[in-house]
Amino acid sequence: MAGDLRLSGFAVPEGIEALHDLLERVGSEHPDLAALDLSMFETAVIEIANNVVEHGLPPGEVRWSFAVEVRPDRVVGVLTDDGQALPEGRPVADAEMPDVLAEDGRGLPLAHAVLDELDYTRDGRTNVWTMVRRRS
Amino acid sequence: MMEIHTEPVTGYTVLACAGRLTMQYASRLREAVDAAVGSGTPNVVVDLSGTSFVDSSGLGALVAGLRVARTAGGDLRIAAPTEQVSSVLSLTNLDRVLTPHPSVEEAARGW
Repeated sequence: MAGDLRLSGFAVPEGIEALHDLLERVGSEHPDLAALDLSMFETAVIEIANNVVEHGLPPGEVRWSFAVEVRPDRVVGVLTDDGQALPEGRPVADAEMPDVLAEDGRGLPLAHAVLDELDYTRDGRTNVWTMVRRRS
Repeated sequence: MMEIHTEPVTGYTVLACAGRLTMQYASRLREAVDAAVGSGTPNVVVDLSGTSFVDSSGLGALVAGLRVARTAGGDLRIAAPTEQVSSVLSLTNLDRVLTPHPSVEEAARGW
């Protein structure tokens, strides 16, 4: 993506902090981007990234890269990682919000709720998550 | 980073979370609620005025804290969430059980 911001590294907790920092830079460099659009986009990015940190195999050895582009009508982020593929049949598109008193299971449904598009594909040996939020 | 400041008040405990309440730090909130409830004060206010960001793990810690407080005969209430936190609470329907109060004082009303 042209004119974007990107990072790469290991899918570990410190990498999550780097993602927060990168998205903070996005806000600084695009003051016209509504704060809520950016914070909701950040919410999705962090949920997907958390998922990679928690479930990526082998643990601590998965490498990822992330790129974000602010377009006039949308924000687009692409997270790729070299961990194992998601298990066949794992629901990505139809994740439902769990009961209010559940303590987990909200990550993917929350990412869906704040995005207009969330797509997962396996490209060779790479997982590719594409996240799109239309600007309000 | 996230820091939790625990302030015991007569009748309840205030837990002020400053920073990002995320996967790396959610266990700290769980431990802080457990400690507050374990000290004999089952009423807890989580002050979110300094919480810039919450993820689903942070939400899970709030729900866990709510359960712990209620099991002990008390309650957990939240105060002054920022825009991202309010939005996420609403999108996950958690605002039904964790009603945002405008301030710590209003959250603790009646305690």
